[in-house]
Amino acid sequence: MNSKVSVKDFLTPTWILIAAGLVAGGAMGLYEMFFGHLFATNSALVWTLPLITYIFLALMSTGVSLVLAYGLIMKDESITRHTRALLIMAIGMLLGGFTALATELGSLLNMVWILLSPNPSSPIWWMGTLYSIELVLLFIKLVMDLKGRHGVFDLPLAWGTLIIAGAAAITIGAVFGTVIGRPDYHGAFLSVVTLVSALVSGAAAIVLLRPQSALTETAGRIFRQTALVFAALLLIRVVYEAHSTVVGMLGWASIWMLIPFILALALLQFAPRILALIGILGVLWVQYSFIITGQLVSLGQTAHWYGAVQTYQPNIPEALILVLGIAVAAALIKLGEQFLMGDQRQAAT
Amino acid sequence: MGYGMVIDQQLCVGCAACTIACKIENNTPAGINWCDKITRTSGKFPAVRYEYISTMCNHCDNAPCVKACPTQAMYKDRQTGLTLHDPKKCIGCKACIVNCPYGVISVNWERPHRDWAQRDRLAEGCFSPREMVVESGGEGTPHGNPERGTTYPVVRPAGTVEKCTFCDHRLAEGLAPACVDACPSGARQFGDIDDPNSEVSKLVAKHGGKGLREELGTRPRVIYIRDYKPQRRFEPARPAGENQGA
Repeated sequence: MNSKVSVKDFLTPTWILIAAGLVAGGAMGLYEMFFGHLFATNSALVWTLPLITYIFLALMSTGVSLVLAYGLIMKDESITRHTRALLIMAIGMLLGGFTALATELGSLLNMVWILLSPNPSSPIWWMGTLYSIELVLLFIKLVMDLKGRHGVFDLPLAWGTLIIAGAAAITIGAVFGTVIGRPDYHGAFLSVVTLVSALVSGAAAIVLLRPQSALTETAGRIFRQTALVFAALLLIRVVYEAHSTVVGMLGWASIWMLIPFILALALLQFAPRILALIGILGVLWVQYSFIITGQLVSLGQTAHWYGAVQTYQPNIPEALILVLGIAVAAALIKLGEQFLMGDQRQAAT
Repeated sequence: MGYGMVIDQQLCVGCAACTIACKIENNTPAGINWCDKITRTSGKFPAVRYEYISTMCNHCDNAPCVKACPTQAMYKDRQTGLTLHDPKKCIGCKACIVNCPYGVISVNWERPHRDWAQRDRLAEGCFSPREMVVESGGEGTPHGNPERGTTYPVVRPAGTVEKCTFCDHRLAEGLAPACVDACPSGARQFGDIDDPNSEVSKLVAKHGGKGLREELGTRPRVIYIRDYKPQRRFEPARPAGENQGA
């Protein structure tokens, strides 16, 4: 642990921004949870930007975990030298996502029934369970790393993380893919999208937040490779939607969505952090698009209230929940770096 | 046994008495209708066709909402075949709403009937909304139906969902759902649709009929029989109240 942190370390522009995000987003979140309703939702359009924030951050965390697990299994030193930093990133992002999710759930205190009354046929139950296990695994690995305990459990833990994190990302896609009444969601495609988007955003986040040469190069390579796969998936979806005759399908993919990933493929070596940020925003765009589009067609009697097809724009409270999720992740990552990294910061470069 | 409902589209006049009766019986807040409608207009003048389809939870045998619920707050009652909701277990994730192909589940974004909790009086000497509730002894609203509370909360908690229960509290007393009793034309029939000798089963056997979006495999227990045909309007109708009930 680093005990040389002082108050001055928290008076930086970054921390002031984080604090502003926590306060503004936190106020919106607390109001939504305990006092009233602020989000731009209705009984036909229920999952909006706050839930998208959770999925975005949880998948990004999963991507970081997968990159780390890959490094530990393949014994890639460019990754393993940054184990603690990557663990802190993954944990911070996942907890930031959980914070956003908490503002979106209607009755948080009833979460105990996830344990007491589980429904194994529910993709959401599996998503919660897998991410909880992943969080525990990440904490175990962090504690072991802090105590310098490395040995026989490293490889099993790495494999465990790889499998659990991969399964969790696929399950997020299944939350949508198992919905039979919404053609824009239904099918296995979204599970592939969520898994690949996790790798893209996770690798890009490493390039953005850990700009050290060896790790940036490895993460950049992973980012480019997964961005290529992601662009291919998007292109497949664009072509499919252009020819689809499925009734009730609006289509969520756009050819313009390929641009961030093509830019990353072509230009990453020139401006890695900027293009990594563009890639992350591109992933957020894709996730936002498919989650919202799948709900825009009003089903059954809701068409009478909201029209056959709705439109959606996030309002300010919802945007502040996105800010809150990012601020919580950033705060936890920075706290982790300041208190838990210490001398490792020098050694990592 | 398993309850089901048959709605005769030849007899339904689209008066929405079912909607209003349901709201009164189940104390649903503003903006939430357990029983509602789909309306369709088709054709070109003068061959215009208007359909009014009364809708509510279909209590599907293969209910997507039950499969999706992570805490089993949405569950199938094995004795009655009803799809019911336990708000004590509901985390408000709204997976049921996303998974329901019929749009029949609603969410209480805020505490229901909030307006009735206001303490401001319109003028001196008047009751405030809150005082009216207290004086009337109602729960949530002055007209809150206490009988609803025997199997489901009269006022549901904020953050949880709610939907039609086929008036399970009335079924327990041998009564028909409120919407069935309210229908002035006898368009709604209710009973044990698993019993081939029940009135509802006989109607389905006679007229055929189908549920909404059956191609999805949900196996809904609300069956719509016949389309409206003007030439049938001189056929003897079933009086309201006859052969209805559990």
